[in-house]
Amino acid sequence: MIEVLTHGIGGAADLPIPPQLAIAGAAAALTVSFAVLALAWRTPRYGADSPGRPAPRALAAVVDSPAFRIAVRALGLALTGWLVWAAVAGQDLRINPFFYMFYIHLWVGLVPASLAFGPALKALSPWRTIAAGISRAAGTPGRGLRDYPERWGYWPAALGLFAFVWLELVSRLAADLAPTRLWFACYAGAMILGGAVYGERFFARADPFEVYSSLLARLSIWGRHEGRLVIRSPLANLATQPARPGLVAVVAVLFGSTAFDSFHDSTLWLNLTQTSSTPTLWNNLALLGFCTLTGGLFTLATRPYVAELAHSIVPIVAGYIVAHYLTYLVEDGWFGLILMSDPLSDGSNLLGTGDLSPTYWLSSQPTLLATTKVLAVVTGHVLGVIAAHDRAIALLPRRRQLTGQLPLLVVMVCFTVGGLYLLFAS
Amino acid sequence: MRKTSPARHRIALAASVFALVCAPLTACGGESDGGDGGPVTIDITISGGEVSPQGERVEVGVGETITFDITADQAGGLHLHSSPEHEFDYPAGESTHSVVIDNPGVVDVEDHDLGIVIVKLEVR
Repeated sequence: MIEVLTHGIGGAADLPIPPQLAIAGAAAALTVSFAVLALAWRTPRYGADSPGRPAPRALAAVVDSPAFRIAVRALGLALTGWLVWAAVAGQDLRINPFFYMFYIHLWVGLVPASLAFGPALKALSPWRTIAAGISRAAGTPGRGLRDYPERWGYWPAALGLFAFVWLELVSRLAADLAPTRLWFACYAGAMILGGAVYGERFFARADPFEVYSSLLARLSIWGRHEGRLVIRSPLANLATQPARPGLVAVVAVLFGSTAFDSFHDSTLWLNLTQTSSTPTLWNNLALLGFCTLTGGLFTLATRPYVAELAHSIVPIVAGYIVAHYLTYLVEDGWFGLILMSDPLSDGSNLLGTGDLSPTYWLSSQPTLLATTKVLAVVTGHVLGVIAAHDRAIALLPRRRQLTGQLPLLVVMVCFTVGGLYLLFAS
Repeated sequence: MRKTSPARHRIALAASVFALVCAPLTACGGESDGGDGGPVTIDITISGGEVSPQGERVEVGVGETITFDITADQAGGLHLHSSPEHEFDYPAGESTHSVVIDNPGVVDVEDHDLGIVIVKLEVR
């Protein structure tokens, strides 16, 4: 007899996108790339600190008010507390909401939250709240014991992100409570300690989730100019991303791991590795390979302006991640919301969401889903190419402005077409 | 002398992207509906930790009955990564199990203990 289980993480994957759509997307990406090169402006439009236009005064007053900040911090603490409660007191079942809050609400949910509202995780971060509490109690300002070494840049965040995707995609531990909880405990410990030693800057550079969120926030319309809340076009906002060491590594881990997630479930890879005696080793190597290949190709194509151009790949990564995770976020994220009412898996309905029904609407519309995914990828590519062009004409000497952009353009087309291919072939 | 404004370039660009993306989109309305409605039978052999087939793709229709004919040297369980998920135990020897999947997607059928993906059901 077949028993229908409660839904768990790792349900059905999306159907492959139709070949026509993949080809159309790739053709559009290719055309746009060269159209931008040939037709777009020749003097840079997006400076490192464009003033934008001031946000409506009422909105700025609310966002900058202490009450709003405290409310968001309280929400961040409450969500983290709920997650920790489920992780510590909950059962090792797939319906434990800890898995959903960690792997979906946090990891995938930060993408739309940051694209829509700006640096969402910075505002919600429980580690920042805890650090602020500690320094207030100690009577010291939020600077920490020593300065954060600027040469580290975003490298700690890149390592943290790699540790996360390793746990999720390679380790085979992701569905077990104890190892996932241990990972989270190590992360929390590192954040609290790092914050105490290096102050607030540590979170902006080393918290993998905050760095990821703040990077995507550069594609939102929300920014700050001289401390004031301003509205910018996403391209102008993206250009304000400072060039720092490790930025390419962060982006390479995000893109490489998402591509690996598609690839490692392909029939080709399953046939190759499942018969091997060490499939996990192969998966480890492949994950590392995908990330290194992404970072390596980008570095080769943009030398000597690697860090200055790194921001331009963010929209391509964002578009591909949206495409890859859309169903997962909507359907499993919704299911996670239902499960959140029952953190101890004892049948309680603490938040009142327990009675909601799961939704499979999006996956039952394969054509709409595939179209949305391809549009996300192509939109990301267009924004990326324009961002790269605008920065390249500011950096490159006049006579090399066109030819100098070609290597990066080719790599961008490779990433986009590669992403579309994986959406089609997986 | 009149210079073409960047804004005009951008509009032209946006229009060409839109046309490029939309033209093929409108052309692919008539997709095949996958399975032909007939029953699908999948033969699975499990012996000595070896599973056959491995990672093979099988197209099935939404709501179609899928039958697994399992020959195993010891009892175990299969896990269907569908939404919602299904799982069932199989005994040692020959057994038959049927399942219906209600939502489109790619569903991995995995052996619980061995952690091996046996087939991938492409449910359309």
